Amino acid sequence: MRDIHALLKQRHRLGPLEPRKGGLAFVTVPRENLRGLLLELRDTHGFTHLVLLTAVDWMEDGLFQLTYMLNNRGRDLTLGIRVMIDREEAQGDTIHDMWPTAATYQRELKEMFGIDFPGSPRLDEEFILEGWTDLPPYRRDFDSLAYSQQTYAERPGRVTHDPREYMKSKLYPDGV
Amino acid sequence: MGLREVLTPFTVWKHVFDDPVTIKQPIGRPAAERYRGFHQNDLDTCIGCGTCEAICQNGAIDMVAVAGYDPEKGNSGLKPQIDYGRCCWCALCVDVCMTGSLTMSNEYTWVDTDPDAFRFVPGLEEPWKDDEEGYEREGKRVLSGIERIHMEEMEPEARIGNFDEIVAGYSRAEAILEADRCVECGLCVATCPAHMSIPDYIAAVRDQDYDRGLQLLYETNPFSEVCGRVCTHKCEGSCAALHEGDPIAIRWLKRHIIDEVPFDRRIELIGQPAEPTGRKVAIIGAGPAGLTAAFDLARAGHGVVVYEALAHAGGMMRYGIPEYRLPYDALDRDIGVIEAMGVEIRTNCRVGRDVTMDELRRDHDAVVLTIGLHMGRSTRVPGTEGAGVEKAVDLLRRITDGEKVPLAEQIVVIGGGNVAMDIARSMARLQKAEFGKVGITLTALEDIDHFLADPEEVVESREEGVKIFDARGPQEVMRDAEGKVTGLRTWRVKSIFDAEGRFAPAYDQSDERVHAGSMVIEAIGQAADTSLLGAALTEALEWNRGRIKIDTAFRTSEPWLFAAGDAVKGPDVISAVADGHRVARTVMEKLAAREVAQ
Repeated sequence: MRDIHALLKQRHRLGPLEPRKGGLAFVTVPRENLRGLLLELRDTHGFTHLVLLTAVDWMEDGLFQLTYMLNNRGRDLTLGIRVMIDREEAQGDTIHDMWPTAATYQRELKEMFGIDFPGSPRLDEEFILEGWTDLPPYRRDFDSLAYSQQTYAERPGRVTHDPREYMKSKLYPDGV
Repeated sequence: MGLREVLTPFTVWKHVFDDPVTIKQPIGRPAAERYRGFHQNDLDTCIGCGTCEAICQNGAIDMVAVAGYDPEKGNSGLKPQIDYGRCCWCALCVDVCMTGSLTMSNEYTWVDTDPDAFRFVPGLEEPWKDDEEGYEREGKRVLSGIERIHMEEMEPEARIGNFDEIVAGYSRAEAILEADRCVECGLCVATCPAHMSIPDYIAAVRDQDYDRGLQLLYETNPFSEVCGRVCTHKCEGSCAALHEGDPIAIRWLKRHIIDEVPFDRRIELIGQPAEPTGRKVAIIGAGPAGLTAAFDLARAGHGVVVYEALAHAGGMMRYGIPEYRLPYDALDRDIGVIEAMGVEIRTNCRVGRDVTMDELRRDHDAVVLTIGLHMGRSTRVPGTEGAGVEKAVDLLRRITDGEKVPLAEQIVVIGGGNVAMDIARSMARLQKAEFGKVGITLTALEDIDHFLADPEEVVESREEGVKIFDARGPQEVMRDAEGKVTGLRTWRVKSIFDAEGRFAPAYDQSDERVHAGSMVIEAIGQAADTSLLGAALTEALEWNRGRIKIDTAFRTSEPWLFAAGDAVKGPDVISAVADGHRVARTVMEKLAAREVAQ
């Protein structure tokens, strides 16, 4: 992996290589360099398989992280390529023309994170959420509990107790 | 569409008489071994902390009372009830469970026509409650860290020659990390004698809102400088985190808040006391109970004068606890805030000598007695009379006053409580400064696993060179022909209490030892010096086994006199603080009642 990294570092402005165990490593690349890097990895270095495309919400930093996992079957290498994009603008570059399956991942990311991939086929069709109107649910500012409380009816007759208040009522009711 | 696509489906007809690969009865088919099915809960391990309820993103869990499980120390007795109409089987509740009691079976099929059947308390009577299969997290909980953030302390070599404070206190970064481990269940609050808002002030540390933290501290305790350092921190023994890791460093986080708020800001945040009521209360003894009561009464607008026999306020916090555990300037800051509320402290004013009880009674609406335990008890074994035998509390008081105290190269301390550790470690420091080495032997009735002293005191004493002999009963202070102390003779203790639970040590006389030393210090307990009451009042008051008798509201048998703190109850600073609040409340109720009567 180090050989590939050394070769491509300059041309695609790669960040430092972060090796993990086995044949796994990660590298961060500027958004402008992503497609060029992927193309060269696929066509020249044997990373022909797109394992997955996923995202991480770094809410505090105002960023989304896109992670493209590529696999070189011949050499048993897996490279995770990270692209940091603006969380407000939330737009990535489609790669469905390189791997048709990417369209499905991108459709999922649009639905779950609200990340746009202009030009990606069927991007705005519902993927698994039907009739969703709230914030994309994988965004960390989406409040799962509040949503479930608003959306799903409570069965009548439920009672709960705060442990601290309950202990007070039983052990020291007058506060001392 | 080509011909092939049209014809291909018909090829499957060749399977029409094969055995089906699907299952006729899907109900009853076992799930995978680690499938996340209906929950299991080991009710005897569950402490009812409600962390499962707090983390549930579907609002599926309620904490409910279950017959046979009552609240006790560190255990609310509540159990999670799960509404499977809402549960999404994500297992966050299992991953966060503080004791590991909550797991999941791999049972997932269940048919019932009653929807309420799917809302129940796991662990009671479901058929799968003891099944081995299912989901449980591997190893210990990771969602909240299990290791306490290390507290920087002076190394034994660096601290033994001086009285400098040992514990450094957390930095902000360290405090945030430690505060982050708290799940805010609040099981600790019941254990704290003053019922401090522990989860709330820890949350304030996490949010870096020290103003709020300080206000929370002062709602229940005007001695956070003190308690942040020397509290017996029983709360940490009730912490949910201790079941699978270190308890939260509650005491250090309290100290961190007070460290972060400058003195003047504290007074600003607490605000001005209420308008003066014209009522006056006398408090005898400026220890934690008396000063806490003074703080509450002054906040309510009453005029408070505290009469203190010694040169400085603080009581045992100053004259009992050594400076390396509680620096005097920290104590002075706590007292300073109390004085800023208008409390007048008259030091060097001994009731019975400089002012009489009758005068106090005449000039005030109420008198509160918080005189502590300042008289050392003696073992009264042969040889304790005479030079070379000292009482720990007397020596500690004299060390605080800066007096030169008697010293020897080899000293024997009798006692296994915190006072024994305090005097052993104080004398060790003086020895180190004077002779360049430590020579302290400590003997106690208790075996080491049942020492009354805090475990860290025992550890630190040993680090500083104190040699501890446990389960040794003192029999005689040995003296030579000239009467000089040469050591302490002890027998091994077989048991301390008799069958009825009374104090009656039994010894193995064949196991005798003489611990050499030219000085013996007794640290086996203290008594209250009640001579200030005078004969008439002593006669008039009701007593309970040598202590002034009080009711649950800290009233004595005399309607104008109240008593609290170590002298009547004990045993530590935070209990004295709690008592101080309670006695102040009683006094205020009395004052209010009189207001109505007039």
